Amino acid sequence: MTTNVCAQPRYSIKTPTNLSPRIQWLRDYFFQGVHRAWNNEYTSWTTGTHWDFQYNELSFYIVPETYTFLQTFRSSFSQVAHPVTLHPDFWKWSLPERRAWFNREVMVHCLPKEILPFDLLAGGRFNIMTSACLTQKETRERDKLVYGSKGSRAAMLWFHNHGYGNAGATSGHLIPDYGRIIHEGWKAVHAELVSTYAALSQNDKNGKKGAQLRAMMTAATMARDLAAEYSKECQALAQQEIEPQRQQELLEMANILARVPWEPANSFWEAVQSLWLTHMLVMADENYPGPGDSFGRLDQFLYPLWEKSIAEGMDPEFGKEILKCFWVHCNTAYDGLIRTGGNQGITAGYGQLLTISGMGAGGKDMSNDLTYVLLDVIDEMSPILEPKPNVRLHRGSPEKLLDRVVEMIASSQGSPFLLNFDERSMAGMMLEAKISGAEQLINKDNVFDYAPVGCLENTMAGNDRSGTVDANLNLLKAVELALTGGYDLAPFVDPLTGKADPPTRWGANTGDPTQFNSWQQFWEAYEAQTRHIIRRIVDLYEQSEAIRARFAPTPYLSCLVKGCAHTGMDVTEGGAELGYVTIEAVTYATTVDSLLAIKYLVFDQKVCTMAELVQALKDNWAGHEVLQARALHKAPKYGRDDDVADALATQVMELWAGETWKYKTRSTKRQYRPGMLSWNYWVADSFILPASPDGRPRGKFLSNALCPSNGADVNGPTANVNSVGKVLGGKAANGQGGWEDYLNLLPNGGSHTMTFSPSMLRDTEHRQKFKAFLKGYLENGGSALQVNLVDADLLRDAQAHPENYRHLLVRVTGYNAYFTSIGRELQNEIIARESHQMR
Amino acid sequence: MTSGRILHIQRLSTEDGPGIRTTVFFKGCPLHCTWCHNPESISTQLQTQWFAVRCISCLACVDACPKSCITRTETGLVIDRDTCDACGECVDACPSGAREMLGKTMTVDELLAELLKDRAFFEKSGGGITLSGGEPTLQPEFAEALLMKLKEAGVSTAVDTCGLTSQHTLDRLLSYIDLVLFDIKILDPQLHQRYTGASNQQILENLAYIHSYLQRQPRQVDLWIRTPLIPEATDTDDNLAAIGGLLSEHFSASISRWELCAFNNLCRDQYTRLGLEWSYASTPLMSPAEVRHCEQVARSAFIYPERVLATGATRLDGSIADSIAN
Repeated sequence: MTTNVCAQPRYSIKTPTNLSPRIQWLRDYFFQGVHRAWNNEYTSWTTGTHWDFQYNELSFYIVPETYTFLQTFRSSFSQVAHPVTLHPDFWKWSLPERRAWFNREVMVHCLPKEILPFDLLAGGRFNIMTSACLTQKETRERDKLVYGSKGSRAAMLWFHNHGYGNAGATSGHLIPDYGRIIHEGWKAVHAELVSTYAALSQNDKNGKKGAQLRAMMTAATMARDLAAEYSKECQALAQQEIEPQRQQELLEMANILARVPWEPANSFWEAVQSLWLTHMLVMADENYPGPGDSFGRLDQFLYPLWEKSIAEGMDPEFGKEILKCFWVHCNTAYDGLIRTGGNQGITAGYGQLLTISGMGAGGKDMSNDLTYVLLDVIDEMSPILEPKPNVRLHRGSPEKLLDRVVEMIASSQGSPFLLNFDERSMAGMMLEAKISGAEQLINKDNVFDYAPVGCLENTMAGNDRSGTVDANLNLLKAVELALTGGYDLAPFVDPLTGKADPPTRWGANTGDPTQFNSWQQFWEAYEAQTRHIIRRIVDLYEQSEAIRARFAPTPYLSCLVKGCAHTGMDVTEGGAELGYVTIEAVTYATTVDSLLAIKYLVFDQKVCTMAELVQALKDNWAGHEVLQARALHKAPKYGRDDDVADALATQVMELWAGETWKYKTRSTKRQYRPGMLSWNYWVADSFILPASPDGRPRGKFLSNALCPSNGADVNGPTANVNSVGKVLGGKAANGQGGWEDYLNLLPNGGSHTMTFSPSMLRDTEHRQKFKAFLKGYLENGGSALQVNLVDADLLRDAQAHPENYRHLLVRVTGYNAYFTSIGRELQNEIIARESHQMR
Repeated sequence: MTSGRILHIQRLSTEDGPGIRTTVFFKGCPLHCTWCHNPESISTQLQTQWFAVRCISCLACVDACPKSCITRTETGLVIDRDTCDACGECVDACPSGAREMLGKTMTVDELLAELLKDRAFFEKSGGGITLSGGEPTLQPEFAEALLMKLKEAGVSTAVDTCGLTSQHTLDRLLSYIDLVLFDIKILDPQLHQRYTGASNQQILENLAYIHSYLQRQPRQVDLWIRTPLIPEATDTDDNLAAIGGLLSEHFSASISRWELCAFNNLCRDQYTRLGLEWSYASTPLMSPAEVRHCEQVARSAFIYPERVLATGATRLDGSIADSIAN
């Protein structure tokens, strides 16, 4: 066989289409990465004190890849920080006031204001690392809570190293009240703050509440003042511009920026400009670009202005150009790490998720002209990572929408969007309302206005911080602890010192499992250990939640979350009307399959004793290959639509979800709720967790979110879908009526990724079948589905010839990634996923 | 309770009738087509097979076999099929799923419970259940009982038949069928005998019988003709033109689709596992051009060219789009 060095790509990968010269230039310019003259890489800013720091490591506790660099990041950002001349009263103010003033000062007065050639929107340079604005005393107190032997960092490392997962108070992951800014302007927010403040007693004014409201008032002027600066820049550029059309555009931009986001938007262009500036400042306020800062129902809150501008004569193509500029701006979030890695900092989705279509009151479909315009924009810009689109489907979704969705899946390797399913999702939100007593805020008259954030986590919009991805728990740890009576199966060995942990009973004392006579006894041990690991993650999370609440206010973001102004509490203090922390369970299918294997091997078939099984796991299955094969191939598995196996899976779900609801954060009174996202932990943590009873050796990937274990779904996609729907709760008896019949134990939703062969959508007839598959999914499946439409051959070709596949996007779990930019291990994992061929 | 012998249940099947379907493969077939894509389904008897790639060489099957008919050779484990009575001991003993039983007996109710699990997908797609094989009409009582229950449950039904059955059986089944997938492979009787082991006389008579049933039947029942495209056996211009001519002349009023199913060599390993030689083992997939040519010939020969449709995988010698017929 000869090697053809300039091998033609064997498969055609989706490329952008129908881009105007303006957008083509902006898109190409973005992808020049480090070669660009302009970029949005981090700049760091300090109060100039010797104790100052910028980097808030709490936000990164959920990113184990960064653990070794936490200290380096802190000192690097400190070293390169530019001093800001402080207001003379700066140190007399409260912490939130200092933060609000400092961030506004940096954004409005310190950073340059630039407009890219041809661009129709203003707003760049939002990747900032700003001073924590702490006094020396506050810094000492805070650092003690973070660094001490009982500090949050040590606790987090212990938790991670022992295979429990991770937790940390992370930024983003919510839908700010953007609709309000567009329709009422920042001035309405400011006015409300002023009147709320005025109504305070003098005592309150002097206290914490008054300080918070003053901070928010300062923050509420940031967008206005920044827009004014950009307006001046547009004026200046217009004067130099020789090309009359561009000059006209710049003058119009100057006008727009003189009005919005302070005033209500009057046109579609103003609305998008208002949205972008307001959104980008959220990312600036949190010093972390785009981790799940999501837009919500974009086609709903922008529609009135789209309609108005179209009626006033705006060319729809020009409207699309405005949106495409918005697309490019969203991607500049990645510039933060532009000099990192081989792909200019573009690695995975930051998760600026936008939602289109879906149900409204009375089950009515809410698709409008703008929905389809947005789909065109997605299609024409694709492949590109941000913003991440999500299409909400429901029983009443129009055929036209479904046809367009399927056509776009067929033409772009399945990657252009997440599909969210309203009936199942809304059932979860209703359960959340009921359990947490939030029925005033989430009920049948507004639940349809939910939208997902980040990857796929369902929340309400504008008043809800649900802390999605803040707490990530390996359910499998409870199986391990039940097998040992509370000890680690293999002791943690410190890689630096080579020292192993002495045997310690970290978990509950559930007795010696080799003495158990029945499955029921083992199940009870598992129950106890599940209660234990949930208590542990709640305790761990509390540490960083309490530190953030005290030392890391985000007054600007608080202006955009209903509840904060009224209570005078920052969003980090639990000021949002709806405050939850989501425990995202990882390793669900591995856990279920392990329990099924224990039951099958030890109790039902008596293939081995418990002692033999535990020994095999300690030996990582070496020397126990026959037993391992039985566990892998003969024991039942979740994901096959096998009612007996799925019944145990349901028990596991009900147990952990039920435990989760028992807790609230102590410092901020946020209610814990269950979800299943599992980001990419199922890859990395597979090297931490020892061999599991399902036959998995250490290092073989764990299961991903709600998905069955890799290759376990031998009965095909429909069986996989049915299993997923069943464990979420299925439907109420005779559930053929409205969406109220659906049940969903996971209000956050669960990530479900399925890979299909491209032949499944090869012609009109098969596309119709795939459309019907999606409708069937809506009846029987989960809350969200991500489709990959690639076959193993294509991916292997992409591994061999990455140069031909630079733009190949694949869905990993709730996010897209460029296939050629992810690690070999994850690549292999994606290749190994069962490719479902319709036969 | 009526029970029958089935080989396999295939869910999310999209090639055996309209919509999303679950296909039940019955075990046992009266024809022995040289190209058969489903060799496990020919024999009515239980059979075991061995997957080398799944085997972990523990030899548990060798120890478990009560008749000592499994031996270890340099090329792998060999089973003496003359002695093996498919008792299944080796299958139970195998820890890794390398030993598999081909065929299982299920009652109508057991099967029904399994088949109805994808009901939501059938309803949304206009799909249903397809009985295929093997030959479903070879187990008429079982097929009848199953079809009856499916109709009671309100599920759309299709039967994929080679056509070699009795008219009495057809009488029993037809009233519960919504779609007949009827194979016409070769029109020339001698060639048919040579390639399939049986004459096509009864098959053609049955087609006529079904046609006349459909013509006097007020209920909507569809008939799709299926012709496998087998290189040098069925894919000749003469054969396709002859079939097209016959269908046009006598049965066109009943036929809503004529499918040409491109030759598939993915079953090569299935023959090896059964210890059988396959004369098509080294025959490649057809090229897209060859399939398109056959489609053209059939369209010219059939009175309703738009009802002719070629399906199946073809050789990958271009982009992915080219690799799939139509």
